[in-house]
Amino acid sequence: MSADTVQNTTNTVLEEGTPVSTERFLTFSSNGLNIGVSTNYVIEIITNHMITMLPLVPDYVKGIINLRGQIIPIIDIRLRMGKPSIDYTSSTCIIVLNINSIQIGIVVDDVQQVMDIDQSRISPVPVENQQELISGMVSSDMHSVILFLDCERLVETY
Amino acid sequence: MDNMLEMYLYETNTLLEQLDELLIEAEKNKDFTTNDVNEIFRSMHTIKGSSAMMEFSTLMEIAHHIEDLFFYIRENGLDSMDESHKNELFNLMFQSTDALRSEVEKIENDEPLSTNIDSIITNINSFLEKISASEGSSSESNSAKEEKTADSTQPADEQKIAVINQELAGVPKSDLPYFIRINFEQGSGMEHLRAFMIVTALKDSDLQFEFYPNDVETNSESSEVIVENGFYIGLSSNKDVESALHVIKEQNSVETYEVIENASLKQDKPETPAPAQNSTSSESSSDSGSASASPAQKSSSAPAAAHNNTGNNTPVKQSLISVNLSKLDSLVAIVGEIVITESMVTSSPDLQNLKLDNFMKSARQLRKLTDDLQDIAMSLRMVPVAGTFQKMNRIVRDMKKKLNKDVRLTIIGENTEVDKTIVDSIGDPIMHIVRNSMDHGIEETAEQRIAAGKDPQGEIILSATHTGSEVIISISDDGQGMDPDKILAKAERNGILTKPAYEYSQKEILALLMLPGFSTNEEVTEFSGRGVGMDVVKKNVESVGGTITITSELGKGSCTTLKIPLTMAIADGMEVSVGNSMFTIPIANIRQSFKTKQEDVILDASGNEIIKCLDDFYPIIRVHELYNIETDVTNIEDGILIWVEAADKSYCLFVDDLLGEQQVVVKPLPPFLSNFNIKTSGISGCTILGDGNISLILDIRTLYAAFYNQY
Repeated sequence: MSADTVQNTTNTVLEEGTPVSTERFLTFSSNGLNIGVSTNYVIEIITNHMITMLPLVPDYVKGIINLRGQIIPIIDIRLRMGKPSIDYTSSTCIIVLNINSIQIGIVVDDVQQVMDIDQSRISPVPVENQQELISGMVSSDMHSVILFLDCERLVETY
Repeated sequence: MDNMLEMYLYETNTLLEQLDELLIEAEKNKDFTTNDVNEIFRSMHTIKGSSAMMEFSTLMEIAHHIEDLFFYIRENGLDSMDESHKNELFNLMFQSTDALRSEVEKIENDEPLSTNIDSIITNINSFLEKISASEGSSSESNSAKEEKTADSTQPADEQKIAVINQELAGVPKSDLPYFIRINFEQGSGMEHLRAFMIVTALKDSDLQFEFYPNDVETNSESSEVIVENGFYIGLSSNKDVESALHVIKEQNSVETYEVIENASLKQDKPETPAPAQNSTSSESSSDSGSASASPAQKSSSAPAAAHNNTGNNTPVKQSLISVNLSKLDSLVAIVGEIVITESMVTSSPDLQNLKLDNFMKSARQLRKLTDDLQDIAMSLRMVPVAGTFQKMNRIVRDMKKKLNKDVRLTIIGENTEVDKTIVDSIGDPIMHIVRNSMDHGIEETAEQRIAAGKDPQGEIILSATHTGSEVIISISDDGQGMDPDKILAKAERNGILTKPAYEYSQKEILALLMLPGFSTNEEVTEFSGRGVGMDVVKKNVESVGGTITITSELGKGSCTTLKIPLTMAIADGMEVSVGNSMFTIPIANIRQSFKTKQEDVILDASGNEIIKCLDDFYPIIRVHELYNIETDVTNIEDGILIWVEAADKSYCLFVDDLLGEQQVVVKPLPPFLSNFNIKTSGISGCTILGDGNISLILDIRTLYAAFYNQY
């Protein structure tokens, strides 16, 4: 699917004549939301990994995994965004991200696809619907909306 | 470029460190040996050359002037200086090396170099003038030389020298007294490589020399220059020239060579004849050729010194290479992986119940090799503490001058090897303790010491020894010791006492010294008493997993002991299970593990469980409760108690089961997790077990704090 086929957004008017800069995003679903993360950050997608729990940490920090000798912390994106947790199924995945050389794995319900998205079509989240960790949104075809994960925010120190 | 800068910094720092050691040693003997002078000259020359190459002009200038100074000293012999001059020279040299070091630090921190170095240069120059003025007999030649050295423009009355200078505008060095000009056979080609072969041959025969053009190894265009002007070799003494000629004669395709004397006299010697060198030929064939770097008239001490020189320096240079620490780290990490993977392969469940004689044989061999590999990889990171210890010499020396106390520093066991990261992190604590000893430990005056029946000269002993998995570093002085009453009074004033003063034992009183906000000295001195004191030292030592204790006897002196693990990268651990989780407890912390009965467990006033071990009561920490882990083992009789001890904390951990002892490779937790204060929850790191699972390593000290912070 190409993002260029989508013509019914308000942003198309502004684009005419300007060079199109697209970025590639990996989309996944979590708690019914479609969320995209730039593939620049994605290292790999793994399934069925044994997570070692850590004590005395917030519940969204699921623990750490041993990925070929590297220790990678895992957070559950549902819990991180304040959504209820569900049991992990066979489609549950861990997306391993490298954000400014901090490696982190996020648990998501399901991985969907990789798509090119024109960056200029990404619009900010309406103020009244502001949500932590979401940096922008874009509407795709099939009447769905893709939210963008604010990766830097994810690993920010508190 | 970065790489070159790194090399430059490494080289310069090493030279400065060596120089410092040399100066300290020389000052102890109150005299320079000819060898020292040569060594300083050489070091300064290298620093000057490389600084010029890197375009650090301040460094180059300072080094250049020191070089000039020592050139003068070398030429005129050490006898030309009297005692007071020598003392002044020591101070001047320490000043200069400090100036150099501070400039190097600026480079390291990417700060602009200071532009005002006049004062140090004036100092050097005025000293040079002073010693040259005091020597009346050879004043003529001196003034000539001084003129030449003081302003780096050459007298240039010699056309030949001028040619050299022109060619070598980039190399600010041509104050060597002798030059050999070599012309190669016409049309022999590759002149620069031929020249380089001569250079190598000369180096092999341990000569000290310079050569122009000096880029023959790398720059093929230099061959044209050589064809045109010849290849120049600069030497510092007549003797060198002779041995050099000996070498040159053996080279192929050298058509002619001539010796040119720099400075006032010019003597063209076309084709110096082969004979008249009976003495030198034997000299250059034997290794003592290096002695020729020292003036011939100093031969009385030179042979022995030269022998020392070759004995000490040459092998060191050949057997050491410097490697980036991060490369070593990744090597150690990969070796750790190999060890783990090896046991994953050999204990793979797929191989169960199979009879595989050959496989098992190979597997055993593999295990042996990986074990060896691991040992070697670990030993790569080990460095002797000598470097850190030697630095203390300088601190003691400086403070001795400032405080006017006569103190000697005795170093024991400086070859003890410790992990590199640990060596780096103990430097500051040791320095702080040594300063404390100098400042507060040793008596103010020699009279006080004599009155106390002690040697007027104070002594600080710095020692390092191994004990199994730990290294013990102790810093002791024979000074006045610490007065427990004074410490107690001070602590009371500062309000850091937690119980009535009379309840404190001697040991507890000394431990007060290491609390934040305690400094026994009222006034701030240059060296200590800045408010940050032993508490910082304690924190630094504990950050590398060490402990620190102070003992002191009033009037006899005090002793600070640091116990530090040899390495933090590998540890012996006891695997324990709690529910589905696995934890590793460092064996070093475990005193005992035992089963207990319900009736032995006592509840204290606030309902916490305590148990009696060897006549003392210790709290029980249930790991499953502390960490909220679900487990079936909640009855104290079903699980097992592990009596652990760290620093001054001692308690019992309640876990489900012991799984066994294992050597583990310690991995730090991912930096992301430091957001959650994971370090204060009693977990210091993790390790990957043979089956690929992760086990968390418990930090016995912080776990105790985590337990009490819960309530």
